[in-house]
This record gives sequence, structure tokens and C-alpha cells, in this order.
Amino acid sequence: MSEIKIRKRNRLQSVSLPAEIIINLLVGGFALLCILPFIFVIIISFSSEESIRLIGYSFRPLEWSTAAYKFVFDMGSQLWISYFNSFFVSTVGTLISLLMCVLYAYALFRKDFKYRKFFTFFVFFTMLFGGGLAPTYMVCKQMLGLSDNYAALIVPALVNPFFIIIMRTFLQTSVPTELIEAASIDGSGEYNTLFRIIIPISKPGIATVALLTVINYWNDWFLAMLYIREPKFYPLQYLLMKAQNQADFLIKNSSVIGVEATKLLRDLPGTSLRMSLVVFIVVPIACAYPFFQRYIISGLTIGSVKG
Amino acid sequence: MKKVLATILTCGLILGSLAGCGKGTGSTSASTPASTPASGSSSTVTNTDSKTPTDRPADHVTLKMYLEGSNVTDDTAVLQKVNEYLDEKLNVTLQPIWGTWGDFDQGAVLSLQGAEDVDIYFTCSWTLNEYNQFARDGYYVRLDNPDNNLIEKYGKDILNLLPEVLIKGSTIEGADGYGIYAVNGYKDIACQNCWDVNVDLLKKYGYTIEDIEKADYYSFGDILAKVKAGEGDNFYPLLIEGAVLERMVDNSIIVAGDSGSNNLLSYYINPKKTSDQGAYGNKILNKFATDEFMKFCKQTREYYLKGYIDPDMANPEKANTVRADKQLTGQYLIGTQSYSLGYEIQASKERGFEVAMVPTTPAYVDTTSSQGAMMAISTASKNPDRAMMFLNLLNTDPYLFTLLDYGVEGIHYNLNNIGEAVFTAERDNYMPWTNGLGNVTLLPPQEGQGADFWDTFKAYYGNADEIPILGFTFNSENVSNEFAALANVAAEYVLPLCTGAVDPTEKIPEFLTKLEKNGMQKVVDEANKQLSSFLASQGK
Amino acid sequence: MGEAKNKRKNRKKTLMLLTMVAPVSIWLILLRYIPMAGIVLAFKQYKVYTKAPSLINNIVHSNWVGLGNFKFLFASSDTLLILRNTIGYNLLWIALGVVISVSLAIMLNEVRSKFAAKTYQTLMFFPYFISWVVVSYFVMALLDPTSGLIVKAQLAGGGEATNWYHDYKPWPVILTLSNLWKNMGYQTILYLAAITGIDKTQYEAAAIDGAGKWQQIWHVTIPNLRSMVIILLIMDLGKIFNSDFGLFYSVPQNSGSIFRTTQVLDTYVYRALMNSQKIGMSTAASLFQNTVGFILIMIANTAIRKIDPDSALF
Repeated sequence: MSEIKIRKRNRLQSVSLPAEIIINLLVGGFALLCILPFIFVIIISFSSEESIRLIGYSFRPLEWSTAAYKFVFDMGSQLWISYFNSFFVSTVGTLISLLMCVLYAYALFRKDFKYRKFFTFFVFFTMLFGGGLAPTYMVCKQMLGLSDNYAALIVPALVNPFFIIIMRTFLQTSVPTELIEAASIDGSGEYNTLFRIIIPISKPGIATVALLTVINYWNDWFLAMLYIREPKFYPLQYLLMKAQNQADFLIKNSSVIGVEATKLLRDLPGTSLRMSLVVFIVVPIACAYPFFQRYIISGLTIGSVKG
Repeated sequence: MKKVLATILTCGLILGSLAGCGKGTGSTSASTPASTPASGSSSTVTNTDSKTPTDRPADHVTLKMYLEGSNVTDDTAVLQKVNEYLDEKLNVTLQPIWGTWGDFDQGAVLSLQGAEDVDIYFTCSWTLNEYNQFARDGYYVRLDNPDNNLIEKYGKDILNLLPEVLIKGSTIEGADGYGIYAVNGYKDIACQNCWDVNVDLLKKYGYTIEDIEKADYYSFGDILAKVKAGEGDNFYPLLIEGAVLERMVDNSIIVAGDSGSNNLLSYYINPKKTSDQGAYGNKILNKFATDEFMKFCKQTREYYLKGYIDPDMANPEKANTVRADKQLTGQYLIGTQSYSLGYEIQASKERGFEVAMVPTTPAYVDTTSSQGAMMAISTASKNPDRAMMFLNLLNTDPYLFTLLDYGVEGIHYNLNNIGEAVFTAERDNYMPWTNGLGNVTLLPPQEGQGADFWDTFKAYYGNADEIPILGFTFNSENVSNEFAALANVAAEYVLPLCTGAVDPTEKIPEFLTKLEKNGMQKVVDEANKQLSSFLASQGK
Repeated sequence: MGEAKNKRKNRKKTLMLLTMVAPVSIWLILLRYIPMAGIVLAFKQYKVYTKAPSLINNIVHSNWVGLGNFKFLFASSDTLLILRNTIGYNLLWIALGVVISVSLAIMLNEVRSKFAAKTYQTLMFFPYFISWVVVSYFVMALLDPTSGLIVKAQLAGGGEATNWYHDYKPWPVILTLSNLWKNMGYQTILYLAAITGIDKTQYEAAAIDGAGKWQQIWHVTIPNLRSMVIILLIMDLGKIFNSDFGLFYSVPQNSGSIFRTTQVLDTYVYRALMNSQKIGMSTAASLFQNTVGFILIMIANTAIRKIDPDSALF
């Protein structure tokens, strides 16, 4: 109740109450729709395999079961090793990647940078054209030795041209050019300007790119599939995708593998197990979300204008 | 712009070739220089008369072997024993790469394309490193190359052990001429499609297995109707795999080398005697234009509309899992099943009710089934000779094969009093794909198979008839554009038609027009041209 | 004298900025530009050079086939339909995407309860974590011919159930909804961050001029989003021949009967090559897609440079 009163006081500088209600309904409604499939995932993960077998994926399984979670916890050390790997790779990868991204994007943002056009094109071109999987794989593995080590999970994803261009655009919208000029006149060094002046006022953009980078690393399994053979380097997402890939392959080829395929398929983790792994993967990253969100949704409501 | 690109390309090539060199020198330090095996082999040639090179080669070599379908988390105990043994016999250390279902395809293909230093690859007619195409493109060493006949030198024992049909199926036109490019595994090498019958349910409605044996697809109607009426709306008596069902009913089979078009090409076998020619002779057909196909689709559509076929069977992503689940829980009356020896006993035990298999043809061997699991030596291997020696030993030495396949006796399995292997819990950490390793007849039978299992096995598979065009593989190189388009047409129509999900009178004409527009006739003509020259070369 | 000093200063600045671009540039050369030599595969028939196999030798010694590897892209009698679907969905979704995500970002920014705004925004990001395969399970739970919720509702309502996976007509809508659902959170966050980054004095100035909230949105927020909108549009344009494979393959359950509205270039290429490993043809396919994208981006960029040079890509 009191909250509404406070709102009323500030109403002048804000959208009208009916408009706000409509906004809340629209955005809130969409947000609810977005979470629905994840709830579905949770339901499947608690469904018994028997129920999935009989009535398929359903919001109301015939029978609930915690077998999938039991199985995941019984995996023992591999689960925690993979958790650690995902955490480690995501953190280290994001830190390095973000630093490289900001440095590059800042140079591109500087209109007085002599080679600005060249370097913009240089990074943009790779967004479209690449040599394909086999040549990249050979370079990574044979030239750079990315094989069965953490570097193999980090290095190939360090640069994302899209993020660099987005970061440059963020800088363009949030940093007034006069600021650079002023800093330059003050005789501030380039690195000094970037770290002391630019970064603090570009937090929303940086946090956004950081978030997207973290997610990229956290969700990645393809690099693990290509470069990792030792289970001690498996990230969490790869545990899930391995099970998924195995199932897909056996399903697709069951007629050629023959009778055995059915049996092999049955030995694999079932759907409820895979869905419980999805839960294990999504929950930590969702928990990390608010950390980045702080900078993205800032106090741009009326309070900041008033203050 | 052009200049820039040219420079970039050149730089890339130079750096790349440097990398290539680096790789070369890197691995030579680990093993022998590339040229030595050829010259070194001359010493071994002298004692080929004694069949196996009993002399242990002087230089030590590490062999990498890329395998399919593994589920291995701990191989230390096994590898220790394997390598002790191999060191003593061949002066070899084995390094298996345990590929898994799904990952193997991508991994092995990249590794082959990049010419990595892997010596031996699993290959077959159904993985992405498909035997015929990859042999043609030069990825695999020709083992009976007249210039350096590895089989003659180190692999004679294998030839003696394997059934002749297998060798025939693996002899193909590759990069180095007509010959053998991989060592066949000896597993369930024959094809036989069966009606998988839920006998308990059948009896419940007063029928016997003879009623199924007497009937055919077109006269199942009454039985299906009665069971459907009795079991209710959510029960679908006919549990089918669309494409397989069509082949069973019409006696058409797929043509090897045709997977690129999603198996649009068909050959018809003789359902009574598979070594004889079928109704259409030695011809490859567009079966979808035949009257049989229309008749089959109409019947299937009728069954579908009457609720005998689960609509899920028309969903390519779901059909196989649902089918496996329903088989397991007995939610069917008649199903389709490709057979392997002893399956009805195994199935009855697993499913908990009596299962009978009613074959629609005798067992037969075709090119695809004979190429079900093989081992090829990579042309990038630095030690093809040693790799061949290893493959020879692996496929002829029961100790080595059992060790690699089942694990260590006393750790991963124990033998019971009749000599069957009983797996321990430790086996869960070491499960290669049994059938993917080679000659499985060297293994002790598994618990429940019976002591004389391999005799029955050899009698069944060793005596299976070969079809008249065994060994023929279609080379689609000249029609690759048509193939690309046709694969999409096949994906659009075949499954819905073969499961009854769409109306054939409307869809088949549409389907045929589209096939025609996308060059089906050209493909069929090309296939027949190749088939005639193949048959001519075989003296048929 | 002063000029020389200025020059030296400028040179130092350039040098410093060059050190900033160095790490990424090195990475790009190693992991992007060197492998780019592989593009020549699009014009070759890749065979192993059996005398000394290595990727580089194989590429060098393989035969040139000119544009032969590209032919299959246009070999189908459905080529026009496939292109129509590919381009059509992309254009529609680019347009819808901009309007909806910008609106969502602005609305989210106007939600006064910070807690609510954060919650909404977190929830909106969830679809991004969930793979298309999982989404396809969800869609199937609604549309499955035997147990789907919508199918059951249709039957309970006394009507006839739609055979969803064999009826191509509803799929443009289903695909559009799925796509919006999955990607709006991602795009919204980009716009939201851009809004948050707007210099706050601009709002203060507008408020002093007596602008109400809606006017502030119109005169401050939207103009400030222009650069971001334009950049994202340019990027999307570059992918006009690409599609989200999982959406078009997994969500319709790979069902053939509905290809008329679900077949796009990426799925066509996948189905054409999935059973045969033809590296030349797959390289050719992506080279074609990217070249078209590249040309479109260059055109769009030139146009934008004329109108609004600050927002152009380069």
C-alpha cells in the first residue's frame, strides 16, 4: 500500500498508473511464457522413465520420481570435476576474452585512430568468412597444441567478432566524444583514459558482453567434443551433449546397427536424466545472472533524476 | 582486395604446410621414419612362409586405433595387459581412441581429413567415414595392393578365418584399384527381416503363431481388427518402422553406396531363394513408381486410418524410441524387426513375455550387411605394416581379442563352469562396442548364450546366401547434385507414405513428379550402367 | 616546433592504440585467417594425396572443379521455395524482432519496481539457455497427435484435431512464435543495456524542458538506440541466407510433410549432405551464404554511411 503512495508522488516524472499496469502485464506475461518450458524441463526431470515411455513428455506425468537426480549424484566425482571445469573455463575465459574485446572495441571506437577502418573490416570479415571446421581444427590442434588441456576449451572461443562490434556500439552510445578530447588535452595516456574514464561509464555495455561471453563458455560443448578426450577435462555441458548425441545417433542408425541398438539405447541415460542435467546446468548460470544484471538494469528510474 | 586475399591465402598455405612438417617430424621422433617400414618390411618378407611374422620386429611402434561406440572410463588395467602382450609379440604399444556413438562420426572424419597420425579407424557402411566413399577418396590403404600386399605378407590368417562372403563384400573399387581396403569384422553379417510377434497377446485372442506364418501383410486385417477392438483406442497393434516394413512386404532392398540419396534406389530380391534373381532381375529400380508400392501404401493407409498404426511412427525423431519402448512393454501385436541369431530368446527374456520371430525371407548377405563393422588402415599411418600385423593378431588371437573386448579375466568378467563369460560390476567402466572390434567368434560366449553358441552362429551366418549383386556399390560421384536434391525429396515423402500418415493417391503422384524433376531417372540409369559393368566383371 | 610535437604525440597515440588491437588481431590471424586457406576447398574435389597425406597436401593436390560444388544448392526443383522460406522468415523476424525487443526494453526500463524489472528480465533470458531439442519436446507436448494438450483440447471441444506435423499451414506461425520466444530476451538485453548507458543529463534536460515520460522516450531514448538498432540490423542482413538450424529441424520434428513451410537453405544442405561427407560441397554452401551476406552488408553500410555516418559499421 505504502509503495503505491510513493509511486503516486513521483507519478509526474513517470508513465501513468494504467500505462504501468499494462506494461507490467505485458512484460510480466512474456516473462512467464519464457519460464514455462524450463518448468517443463523440471517436470520431465522428476518424471519416471516409465511415465515418459507410456505417455511421452507431459506436464502431468503418471508417476513422479527422483531417480534421475539420484543417478546424477551417483555419478560422483565426474559431476563435480565437470562443474569445476565449467566454472574455471567460464571465469578465466571470460576475463581474458572481455579484456581483449574491450581493448579492441575501444580502439575501433576512437575516431582518431589512424587504422580504424582497416581493423573494423579485419574483425568484421571473420564474422562472415571462415575456413571451415577441418582447417580450423588442424590449426588449433597441430599448430597450437590445443588438445586435452584447458586452453583447448578457452582459446578457440576467446574472440567473438559480434561482441566486439556490439561493444563498440555500446561505447558510441554511452561515451561522449568530448570526454576523450578532454582527457587527451589533460595528457592522460591511452590506457589510463580507457581504464580510469571509459570503463567506469560503460559498465552496462561491458556487463552485457561479459554476460554473453560467460554464457557462451558455460554452454559450450563443441570445443570439448573436438579437442578433449580425457574425462577430467569434460565441462558439464559436454556430459549432457554426449548423452544426447549418443541417443540421437543410435536412434538414427538403429536399423543398420540392428538388434543391438535397442539394447545400447536402453543403457544410455534416459530423458529424465538428461533433463536433470539441464537443470544442473541452468541453475548456476541463472544464479550468476544478478551479478551482471546489477550493471544492466541500473537506477535509471526517477530516483536518479531526482537525486 | 584481390591482392590482399591472395596474400592471406599464401600465408595460410605456407604456415599450414609448416604445421604439416612440424607434425611430420614430431611423430617420426616417436616412431620410425616414414620410409623405414617399407624397407624394414623386406626383412619380414623372408619369413612370410611361416604365415605369421613370428619374429618380433626390432623397432618399437605406437599404434593409434580410433574405435566406435565405446563406453570406457577406465582402461588402465586392460591396456597394461594388452601392451605387455603386444610388446612381446609385435613390439607395439596400442593407444585406443574410445570414440562414442555420435562423437565418432565428427571426430573420425576430422581426423581423417586432417591426416592425423592415427593408424587404424573403425569404418563401415553406415558411419560418416563410410567405407566405400572413403576408400575411393584415398583415406584407406589398399590391403591387397599388388605393389605392397599387406594381406599376403601379414594377414593371411584373417583370410582363412573369415567367411568368403565377407571378403567379397569388402572388395571394392577404391583409390588404388579394385581390392580390399579394410578388414571385416565377423559379427551378425546377414540380413533377415522378421515379423516380431507378441505371442502372449496373440494367444489371448485365440490365434496361434501359425496364423501369422500363413498370413501376409495384406491379410493381417482380421487379426489386427480383433485385437484393436479388444485392447482399446490407445493400443496400436501394428508396430512398424516405415521403410523397413515396405522392404519386408515388397522384398526390395537398399543399394550400397546410396545412403547419400536417403536410399531411394532399390533392388528386388527373391524371397524364396535369395541367391537367385528376384522378380525384376538384376536391375535397380525406382520402386516408388511400381504398382507394388502403390498397393503397399494404400494398405498401410487403411491400417493407419483404422488406428492400427501409432501416428508416432511417422515422426522420424521419435519413431525409434517409441518403437523400442513399446516392444519392451508389449504394447503391440505384430512388429517389424531385423533379426540377429538368438534374438527371440533374448527378447522373450528381456520383455517378459513370449516373443516369436516370423521371417519373411531366408537370411542373406548383401554389400551393406557385409560391411557392417570393419577396420581400415589410414593412408596417413606411418606404420601400415605393423598395423596390419596387429589387425591380423587381433582377429586371430583369442587371448588378445577377449582381453581387448571383454576386459581382464577376474576383473571385468569371470568364466562359469561351461565357459561362458559372466560380467562383473567393473565391466561398467570398460565397455567397448563388442561387435565393433572385429572377429567376435574368438570370444567366450556370454552368459545364457550356451557353450556351443559360436557353432550355431557360424552355421547360421557362415551359410547365409549371398544375393546376386553382393559386392556392388553404387558410386554417386557423377550424380552428386541429383543426389543432394533427391535426398531432400526422400526425406519429404518416404516416411509419411510408408507409415500411412498421408494419402497415397494424392501424395504418390506428387512424389513421382518431384523425383522425375530432380533427376531420378538419370540416377537410376547411372546405377544400372554401373551394375551391368560390375556384373560383367564378375562374369555374371 | 609545435607541429613536430603534435606529430610525435599522434604517433605515440597510434602506437598505443595498435597495442590495444594486437591481442585480438593475433588471435584472428591464427584462428581465422590462416584456416581461411580452406575456402579453396569450395572449388575443389577433396581427395587424399596418398603419397604424403596432410591437410595441406590434400588440398593442394585435389582437382579443381570450378563452381561444380555450388551446383547442388540450386539443383532442387524446390530451390525457389527454399529461398523464399529462408529470406522470408529472416526478413519477417528481423522486422518483428526490432519492434518487439525495443518495445520490451523500453517497457522494462519503465517498470518502477526494480525487483519486478529484474525478475522479468531474468525470466526472459531463460529460453536462451534451453536448446532447440528441449524446446521441441515442449512443442510436442502441445501438438503430439495422441497426447498433445492442444490436440486434446481440440477434441474435447468437439472439433477435429489438426494433424500438426503433417499440415504445413500452421507452421509459419509456430516457427515465428518459437523464434520470438527464444531470441527476444537476448535482443532485449542488448537494447536495455544501451538504454541504461544513455547519458542521464539528456533526460534531465528534457525533463526541465517539460517533456513528459512518453516524450522523453520518443525524443531521448529512441534516438539513442539508433546506433544499436542499425548495427544489429546490418548484422542480421549478413545472415539473411542462414537460418537457425535447430529451430527448422528439431521443432518440426524433421517431418517431411511440412517441408513446404519448414525447409530452408540450411536444412536443405544438411539433408543433402548428412549421409555423405563432401567437404567441398559443404564449404561451398557456407561460402555462398556468406558471400551473399557480405555483399548485402556492404550495400547497406554504404547506404547508411550516406545517411548517418556515425552509425555505420565502417
